Amino acid sequence: MFKATDSNYIQNRNWSVLVFMCAVLLLFAVLLLRLFSLQYTHYDENLQRSENNRIRKVELIAERGYIYDRNGIVLVRNRPSYQIALQAMNLPRKKADRDSVFRRLLRIKDKDGTPLFDSAAVDTAFQRSNWIKNRPIRFLEDASQEQVAIIEERSSELPGVITVIESRREYPYGTLASHVLGYTSEISEEQLKLPEYQNYSQGDRVGQKGLEQGYDQEFRGTNGIKLVEVNASGRELGLVKGVESQAPVPGLHLVSTIDLKLQKVAEAAIPDSAKGALVAIDPRNGEILAMVSSPRLDPNIFSLKRRERNKGWAQVALDSMRPLTNRAISGTYTPASVFKLVTAGAGLENGVLSETKYYSKPCTGGYQYGARYQKCWGTHGNLNVVHAIRLSCDVFFYQAGLDIDMARINEFGRRFGLGENPLGVDIPGEKGGWLPDSASFNAKNKRLGWRWARGLILNLSIGQGQLVTPLQQAVLVGSLATGKGVYRPHFMKELRDFNGNVVKRFEPEIIRPGNMKPETHRVLMAAMDSVVNHPGGTGKRGAVPGIRVGAKTGSGEWKKGEKTHAWYAAVAPLENPEIAVAVIMEAAGGGGAVSGPIARKVLMAYFGKEDEVKK
Amino acid sequence: MSSGRFLDNSLKFDWVFMLVTFALMACGVTLVYTATVNEDAVFYESFWFKQIIYFVCGCVLASGIVFLKIDWLKRMAVPLYAVSLVLLCVVLFFAGDVVKGAGRWIDLGFFKLQPSEFAKIAYLITISYWLSSHPVSLRKVKTFVVPFFLFIVPFALVLKQPDLSTALVFIAVTYVGFFFAGLTLTDMFLLSSPVLSVLFSHSQTTVFQVLWGLLICAVVFALVRRRLPKALTIFFLAANILAGYASSMAWNMLEPHQQKRVNTFLNPMSDPLGDGYQVLQSLTAIGSGGLTGKGFGNGTQTNLAFLPEEHTDFIFSVLGEQFGFLGCAFILGLYVLFLWRATSTCKLYSDPFITLIVMGASTIFLFHILVNIAMTIGLMPVTGLPLPFLSYGGSFAMTCMVLVGGIICMRYQGRRQ
Repeated sequence: MFKATDSNYIQNRNWSVLVFMCAVLLLFAVLLLRLFSLQYTHYDENLQRSENNRIRKVELIAERGYIYDRNGIVLVRNRPSYQIALQAMNLPRKKADRDSVFRRLLRIKDKDGTPLFDSAAVDTAFQRSNWIKNRPIRFLEDASQEQVAIIEERSSELPGVITVIESRREYPYGTLASHVLGYTSEISEEQLKLPEYQNYSQGDRVGQKGLEQGYDQEFRGTNGIKLVEVNASGRELGLVKGVESQAPVPGLHLVSTIDLKLQKVAEAAIPDSAKGALVAIDPRNGEILAMVSSPRLDPNIFSLKRRERNKGWAQVALDSMRPLTNRAISGTYTPASVFKLVTAGAGLENGVLSETKYYSKPCTGGYQYGARYQKCWGTHGNLNVVHAIRLSCDVFFYQAGLDIDMARINEFGRRFGLGENPLGVDIPGEKGGWLPDSASFNAKNKRLGWRWARGLILNLSIGQGQLVTPLQQAVLVGSLATGKGVYRPHFMKELRDFNGNVVKRFEPEIIRPGNMKPETHRVLMAAMDSVVNHPGGTGKRGAVPGIRVGAKTGSGEWKKGEKTHAWYAAVAPLENPEIAVAVIMEAAGGGGAVSGPIARKVLMAYFGKEDEVKK
Repeated sequence: MSSGRFLDNSLKFDWVFMLVTFALMACGVTLVYTATVNEDAVFYESFWFKQIIYFVCGCVLASGIVFLKIDWLKRMAVPLYAVSLVLLCVVLFFAGDVVKGAGRWIDLGFFKLQPSEFAKIAYLITISYWLSSHPVSLRKVKTFVVPFFLFIVPFALVLKQPDLSTALVFIAVTYVGFFFAGLTLTDMFLLSSPVLSVLFSHSQTTVFQVLWGLLICAVVFALVRRRLPKALTIFFLAANILAGYASSMAWNMLEPHQQKRVNTFLNPMSDPLGDGYQVLQSLTAIGSGGLTGKGFGNGTQTNLAFLPEEHTDFIFSVLGEQFGFLGCAFILGLYVLFLWRATSTCKLYSDPFITLIVMGASTIFLFHILVNIAMTIGLMPVTGLPLPFLSYGGSFAMTCMVLVGGIICMRYQGRRQ
């Protein structure tokens, strides 16, 4: 306890206060010394820096990586684009002066006498300049050379108005493979909140859909920074001495698995007025050679001026044909008769079916199951499995399905990529299919009150009721033909840096076993062969001269009174499969008649017989 | 009259202190005005006007505080401390629910309460109250136990926010508090020696090695002179040597990019594209002011918005650019006058509580002044401490005025014995 009257304490305390004040004086002296050195010794250089030159931090945007086809042809590249913008720091400080810059801008006309700028856009930019101080505010995007020249000429009377060169995405082939490539746009508020976009900031252009989104991180590169000195009206004078700039690192280029020639043929075969999709895949490694989803959109609209961009966007977004959807990976359809390959395979694999097995009830145009009479699309008589696939006879598969049971059929289908799990293709938006069994059927239709019944096997064994994507369908026939496993379908062949060195290669990866007995394989191949190459086969319009094509047609019922979805899934050559093609045309009719010729065109192009198509 | 305060005229009022405070506030409003003159806002929405409002509110608050009885303050020390801890916990653990907006505030609707500001004041009263009746001595280590726990809880909570610079204010208050609660200058040196050891041995140049050697010698000399208990002697020696070696070892164990991050924090100018950008602009602004400055309203750096946070943390650069070396020296002079009048208050009385409160409050002011100015002139890392009376901001203006009120209160309510 202190003794309050202790004079010793008071003396000590007063001395301590003195020490405290001495410390204050000492520390302030240090501050003053430093201030003196800044404001007197280095006055000239600091004044120079602040008066004549101003230092500004400029972000150097990295060049976005290109996309090539498998043969090195550019599918997506960048083009320079001039923007006219306001630099808030360099605008006059007085409001009256700013207003006169505004009026001068609006008075500028091009040689035809039309005003160069939209007054609303300029007005918005001036308003935004009140709070956005450190980056340019664009009010004319994609300016022409002439417009840039006019602004540069008058730069002295337009302080704070600058031209900025940016690079914008360009898709030289327009709508070609638009769903695969995707597009870029300014990052949205919602995306900025997501964890995967934490390294992005407002105003960044970011890939949306397709490869642009799937490989955005790789395309982006790393932005650089430089410190530049600028003069009073915002023009750059040069780099600040003694400060090294960080150069931007350009993004990686992507060499895709797309074959431009094949893609072009596929695009031409499907008119934009039709709804449909096509997938061509190499079953030996999962490389997707071509993918079409119709109707298409032109990704170039997202690189246009704001007004045209908004107009184009409104058009595609509101279109009832839904051109934004990539039907090849996110459209789920009933597999129709193509699924008979799975039913047959499961039967052969489990010994229920064989090449010599004939069912006691021949096809007389229908099948009586309990109180129900299920029709067939024709009258086919007594058949074995090969004949049944060739003619796509329903009655045969009604009986086979009842014998095999759904569990074994679904298990066989899953081996070859069917089912609820997406295949993991490297562009976003892929959906999985559905192979119903009693549990999942009841769960899905609980609300409707439908219950599983054995009679449903009749429908399911001919492929009415399941869901598959066109990609799954192509993978199914491809892996049935190779019998060596299902490879992950992908578009990325390799990533290269800007010097052309390969940074990463896609390693083929088996995602489903895709195995079966040799006998099963032999019978299925014989059946697929006869679909195309037998005079009575349903898919004979898909035949390619000189090549042994195997295929299966399908006509998916989806709505009473409407034309069926036309399916055609082909693989060639059967002895050594290199390409599998799946085509679906929505509500177009029979598979063999409508989709067969489309697949044929793609196969002809693949085997270098496109001249014969013309004949 | 029970109290003697009306008997002695000199005790009534300190006009110099009052005038200096008002002068500083006037300078503050002027600087905020010139820093934000470009914002097109109606005058009642402008920063300078709001700052006047804050100061007026602060003066009212301070006038109220003057009438608080010292005994009452002593009684309230523990409750205030408890409340401040609760508020710090609220802001820390319920940030998502109770607190609107990010970080360090509790939104009361009409006012944003910043618990760390409140905690500064509550801690000052509590530690002063404890130390005034329990002096500390290095010979009796037990005397440090209670102050240590009083200190560590709010310190850790503020550090967790994370608000390093405010947490350092707690250290400064405690440090000076010990000095006025019985420690000698030698003791103070011993207490700070491990920190100096870390600083000196961090850089492995010859100059610093020699400096560190000298420091160790000085520590040994001080220990010999003080004749502390053996355990403590060994502790200080070991602490210094360990701090020295451990810091350089830890430094070498860091990855290069981590070393770079620490360096950037300690010396922002080493990264002119990142953190150093602000400091570079601030140095240019101050340096271009020269001896007499560019004149009121003529700051090009300020007006072209090159300076970041020019009306809050970097207000001193505005001063340096527009009023030059003389302006800076004038403001520093005002601060010296302010601190001198504040600290001399305690000489009027022999009550240790008054001494501790007054010296603690002065320390809070001094620490903010030093750290803020050193930051704007590139001597210290960029932290977020504002400059008393000059920086724009309601919460901190209130804190300053409460402290000023407290100092006047001590003068007004103290008893001569």
